[in-house]
Amino acid sequence: MIDTAQAFFEQLAERGYEPLLHSISGTIQWKIQDAGNWFVVVKNGKLTTSRNMVQADCVCECSKEDFDRMVMGKQNPTTLYFQGKMKITGDLELAQVFQRLFPDESLSGGEQGKKESR
Amino acid sequence: MTMSDRTISVLEGNNFVVSDLRGDIDASPTEPLGLFAWDTRFLSRWLLTVDGQRPNVLSTDDLDYFYVQFFLVPGTGTIYVDADLSIIRKRAVGNGFHEDLTILNHKDQPVDLKVRIEAAADFADLFEVKDALKKKGEFYHRIENDRLVLGYRREKFTRETLIAASSRADIDEHGLSFQVHIEPHGEWTTCLEVVTGLGGFGEYHQETTYGHGDQRARSNVKMNLKKAGEAIPRLSSDWPSLQVTYGRSIIDLVALRFYPMTLPGHALPAAGLPWFMTLFGRDSMIASYQALPFSSNLAIATLRALAQRQGTRIDDFRDEEPGKILHEARFGEMTAFEERPHSPYYGAADVTPFFLILLDEVERWTGNAELVRQLELEARAALRWIDEYGDRNGDGYVEYSRRNKETGLENQCWKDSWNSILFADGTLSRMPRATCEIQGYVYDAKVRSARLAREFWHDPALADRLEKEAAELKRRFNQDFWLKDREFFALAIDGDGRKVDSLTSNIGHLLWSGIVDEDKAEAVVRHLMGPRLYSGWGVRTMAEGEGGYNPIGYHVGTVWPHDNSFIAMGLRRYGYREEAARVAMNMLEAATYFKGRLPEAFAGYPRELTEFPVEYPTACSPQAWASGAPLLLLRAILGLEADGDHLIVDPAIPSMLGRLELLDIPGRWGHIDAFGRGRVDTT
Repeated sequence: MIDTAQAFFEQLAERGYEPLLHSISGTIQWKIQDAGNWFVVVKNGKLTTSRNMVQADCVCECSKEDFDRMVMGKQNPTTLYFQGKMKITGDLELAQVFQRLFPDESLSGGEQGKKESR
Repeated sequence: MTMSDRTISVLEGNNFVVSDLRGDIDASPTEPLGLFAWDTRFLSRWLLTVDGQRPNVLSTDDLDYFYVQFFLVPGTGTIYVDADLSIIRKRAVGNGFHEDLTILNHKDQPVDLKVRIEAAADFADLFEVKDALKKKGEFYHRIENDRLVLGYRREKFTRETLIAASSRADIDEHGLSFQVHIEPHGEWTTCLEVVTGLGGFGEYHQETTYGHGDQRARSNVKMNLKKAGEAIPRLSSDWPSLQVTYGRSIIDLVALRFYPMTLPGHALPAAGLPWFMTLFGRDSMIASYQALPFSSNLAIATLRALAQRQGTRIDDFRDEEPGKILHEARFGEMTAFEERPHSPYYGAADVTPFFLILLDEVERWTGNAELVRQLELEARAALRWIDEYGDRNGDGYVEYSRRNKETGLENQCWKDSWNSILFADGTLSRMPRATCEIQGYVYDAKVRSARLAREFWHDPALADRLEKEAAELKRRFNQDFWLKDREFFALAIDGDGRKVDSLTSNIGHLLWSGIVDEDKAEAVVRHLMGPRLYSGWGVRTMAEGEGGYNPIGYHVGTVWPHDNSFIAMGLRRYGYREEAARVAMNMLEAATYFKGRLPEAFAGYPRELTEFPVEYPTACSPQAWASGAPLLLLRAILGLEADGDHLIVDPAIPSMLGRLELLDIPGRWGHIDAFGRGRVDTT
């Protein structure tokens, strides 16, 4: 069985550039309970990921189950945050823009959450 | 602040307090009073008693939109007698509120008093304030560090109200009590701090932004429209009421600023006080557009905040689609738990083209090329939305039909009440609906985006394509929407392909957007200024004589100031200078009946029947796009247009205004003065 979070960040790293993140620059730390930390360093959409601790501009923290549900399109990131189940500290603009990457279509499939045109 | 007969409101950002004239809060389903922040009521009860009696009010003074003073005397329970005590409450709102409570003893004898503040919080979502719904979570309280904490928890969602006083208080779960001794001619004073806490959500505020006696925030200093660097143009005329209305509009737009958490240090116009203190695609952009010649910061912040939240996926619940600009963002419990779709909700079909229009207009006025480049991808996504999702059936027009059939909006145009899109016989049109003004916006958006593509995105192929599409849209629109026998444009084409044939104010927006063929403009203007649409105060949303017409129907007969400000601009665009001056003057005259603060809408009764404009009974005042209307009307009569590095001034001023001057209009030209003399007879 594939690890959703790992697959999500690995695919992101492979893309190397994500136009949906073109407007932001900074380091986002994903602190996923029972799955550890991922760091995404973005510079105007160009990005690298790593698992080594670095100083983050924005920290997003949630459970592994909730993270997977966001990736799969079963949980909206904004309402997860509003419900208090995802903690965000630091630069909220980074988190606001990063949430565009959910769900990950290649991992979720299905019409809901589909990003490309019909 | 705003005062009605029985309530007073003060606000800052999306924090606001609605109380009675004593300063008390005693909420009920019919009296939606309270301290509200982030769409949640953090105090539903805040009652002051002195020796068990609620005071009587002497006067209530508003000093600023965030600051109010209440002058009270002890209640006797019976009739007013000469008081020997004065009670003064001074309240400043911001991250909750700060209240200075002072009691003056006017007697020669010392007094001992029991002063009590009763406090309770129901943590109602704004959506449930009037419904008194049963809460799904649990309430709790604790007393810690000399403060009372009222709390509400639903799973991990927590909201807390923290209440503390600067002098010693006996604290219980229902409030704070003070044993007060005051010497002859002495005084006693305490500060009450009420702080709103949002667990895990943004900043968890630990203090208010005001201190004892403050009329000025001590931290979190907000961008001020009046601040140096963005001075507001100075206005003068021979008609004093105009200065009153102008000043009121500016102050209200300052008061209505909303500070998105994702754009620190930036403010944009919220839609209205008290129930719409949040980001709206339509209202925030329209008010920004209206204010652009006076202050460009609002528009820039609005564009950036909307771009951040642009739709990226298909989501039926939120009516979200890739490239779509949002309709409304909310932050309360019902939104959090997806009982309402406002996280954010995307149910609006006109705002995506409007986003492109505003982006172009901002560049024209400010020369901010950087913004146009920063938002290129969002602008391109908006253009794609128009063609791929906005045009649902591939007929070349943008039509709407909600994805969210339960809690979504049926009408996704500015006339968003369910019964606004009616045939002339009063029957309801069918979904999906392509309303005419949206096609006008799309036309204008494509023409303007072509300029942006050519000049800033270095994409002449896109520019050519957009211009071709715009021209084709205009050609087809003037055939498909035109009602030959009645000589105006249909309100919409409905899902059965029928022309929705009511005569409405929407045709004025068509002039504004430029989609109307020159040879049809004269007939459109004749209808706009004719007695069926024109009430004498302004253009009605729907013409008298249509089946659905109702002079007090929300979108089917009332007169809306923002609607008329766009119509005045449309009249100018097609060269109808005198008609534009008349629309502007009549609306500015209407404003004098509201002390310069135009309401969201007023009744469509003929002017000669009522002699004064009858306010539509709406809960929201001020409303941003009504506050912005006089600003756009000023632009219309001064004929202000940005043209390259120049500001064109081409006045057509109502003679009632006499000499009109607007000095130091900011823009890419630096600062320019505009003035002219009233020569257009509008009586």
